[in-house]
Amino acid sequence: MSIEIRNISKRFGNFVALDNINLDIPTGELVALLGPSGCGKTTLLRIIAGMETADQGEILFSGAEANHLHARERNVGFVFQHYALFRHMTVFENVAFGLRVKPRKERPSDAEIKRRVMELLGLVQLDWLADRYPSQLSGGQRQRIALARALAVEPKVLLLDEPFGALDTKVRKELRRWLRRLHDDMHISSVFVTHDQEEALEVADRVVVMNHGKIEQIGSPDEVYSSPASPFVYQFLGNVNVFHSRVQGGYAEVECREKPERATAFVRPHDIDITHSIAEGSLEATVQHVHPIGPVVRIELLHGREIVEVELSRERHEALQLAVGQGVWFRPRQLRFFGADNQPSAASEKQAFLF
Amino acid sequence: MSSNKLTRATQEPAWVRYTLLTVGLGFLFFFLGLPLVAVFVEALAQGLPIYLEALKESETRSAIWLTIVIALAVLPFNILFGVAAAWAIAKFEFKGKSLLITLIDLPFAVSPVVAGLIFILMFGSQGYFGEWLAAKDVKIIFAVPGMILATLFITFPFIARELIPLMQSQGKDEEEAAISLGASGWQMFWRVTLPNIKWGLLYGVILSNARAMGEFGAVSVVSGHIRGETNTLPLHVEILYNEYNAIGAFAAASVLALLALVTLVAKTIVEWRMKAETDMLNAELPGEKT
Repeated sequence: MSIEIRNISKRFGNFVALDNINLDIPTGELVALLGPSGCGKTTLLRIIAGMETADQGEILFSGAEANHLHARERNVGFVFQHYALFRHMTVFENVAFGLRVKPRKERPSDAEIKRRVMELLGLVQLDWLADRYPSQLSGGQRQRIALARALAVEPKVLLLDEPFGALDTKVRKELRRWLRRLHDDMHISSVFVTHDQEEALEVADRVVVMNHGKIEQIGSPDEVYSSPASPFVYQFLGNVNVFHSRVQGGYAEVECREKPERATAFVRPHDIDITHSIAEGSLEATVQHVHPIGPVVRIELLHGREIVEVELSRERHEALQLAVGQGVWFRPRQLRFFGADNQPSAASEKQAFLF
Repeated sequence: MSSNKLTRATQEPAWVRYTLLTVGLGFLFFFLGLPLVAVFVEALAQGLPIYLEALKESETRSAIWLTIVIALAVLPFNILFGVAAAWAIAKFEFKGKSLLITLIDLPFAVSPVVAGLIFILMFGSQGYFGEWLAAKDVKIIFAVPGMILATLFITFPFIARELIPLMQSQGKDEEEAAISLGASGWQMFWRVTLPNIKWGLLYGVILSNARAMGEFGAVSVVSGHIRGETNTLPLHVEILYNEYNAIGAFAAASVLALLALVTLVAKTIVEWRMKAETDMLNAELPGEKT
């Protein structure tokens, strides 16, 4: 089932949660709504599910207007960040819930319910936990049960609200790979909300980057990463490489030779090369810190009064043998400019840096 | 071992501990233990047969009966109101929510006598609806309906007060999950909400029930003290005592005291069950294993 979102707006008091959102989600796609907390991504998901009503705009399911449909009639599976398993029911009863509450005419027989539930538990590889209560499960197991429960009613759309947000890194990685496989097997449309760029880029077919109730960019994971449409997207997705750092990307005031107006340039830390001798377009700097982090080495350079972050591969670092206090030259391999209006401007090949 | 040492390091000297203990226990004994014993001693002062005789007296029996009838009549309304109010407050945002919370506490703040007078003012022969009710030949004041109304007023906060924090802490995720799985409002309530609040609800029921059976002030104002007709146990105890019928008064009082003891036991059991279940259902996450 495809979902179309037309001019959706939503306010909470004075707070604008969603500002005229337009988005198409074609059948079978796995879409990530990515953004910082408070950007409206969860509100949008809840409006699609029918748990929240938009102030204006329309939702269409397979081309048909769905605004008037009650949450229970929308045929969506919803997975909550904190699982929302029924705490007084066993795992089996949790998964069976959606089948048991069907109107008498549509309700499957007990034997059929048992068969379907065990099949779903098999799918999430937890059939051996059928008699346990949610409190007896680990976080990862709970979220898989929540998924099985949502899938039991054979939804046409699967909506996941920060599904892995409460889990630790290792389990999170495992579960998202598993979600991707599940999505491909089930042939349904899925939308998941996340604030984790890595998660969005790894799992989704398409990423919708949101900020302040607006969509900043829609594109494939590669598109949003390598050609960000706005400084916000650039900085938000830059986190992938400077994961534990607050500084995101080399950030510089630049004056282009061809165009005398001021613009802002963004450089990913791994798009900067360091040399010992001067080369065309390179700038002088002093090495301030050298941090080897896993497969990369992060270097902090001091250029004038600006700190520039650089990421080198271990091999490159070995070859350079950088030491703190050493004078070096650096050159950005790739730059992207944004004018004062935050619109991307064409990158020119040669430019002088005025840091 | 280390915990022992730790306790000793943070403990008060022995004489402080024993003084505090003596004060506490002494207070309990003089103000709770001794009166309770006195009730039974006085009631049984002339032996068991006389005690039983006093209870068999028709006016006492009708007072016991009326007390139970009022308590039972009030219960469904209290449950309905308590659950509805707690639901509205815990699961929805609306204007005037804090006003509603304040209003629920009104019966705690207002003197029961005033509560009784409110009903006289509304339904008494000189009251707002008095003439209309007289014309229809409906008796509310100085009759059982008025006593039920007064008891209702006094007891309605108990269940709501018990449920509001419980439902707030549980959030509405489970309800939303139930709806998104296709459950109707009723199915959601019976299958998800009610099982989650059942112990809290029972606890509230016990508390409000104890209050309903023991209420004196509000009921006294609207009852009219018609013997054998509009006397509940607490009112009856007062009448007998004023007539210097000590055995009768203490016998009736002993029934109230017994009801209180039963309530206490029931309350303790429910508290214990509630705690056991909450601990079980909110247990710590065990280590990740996949």
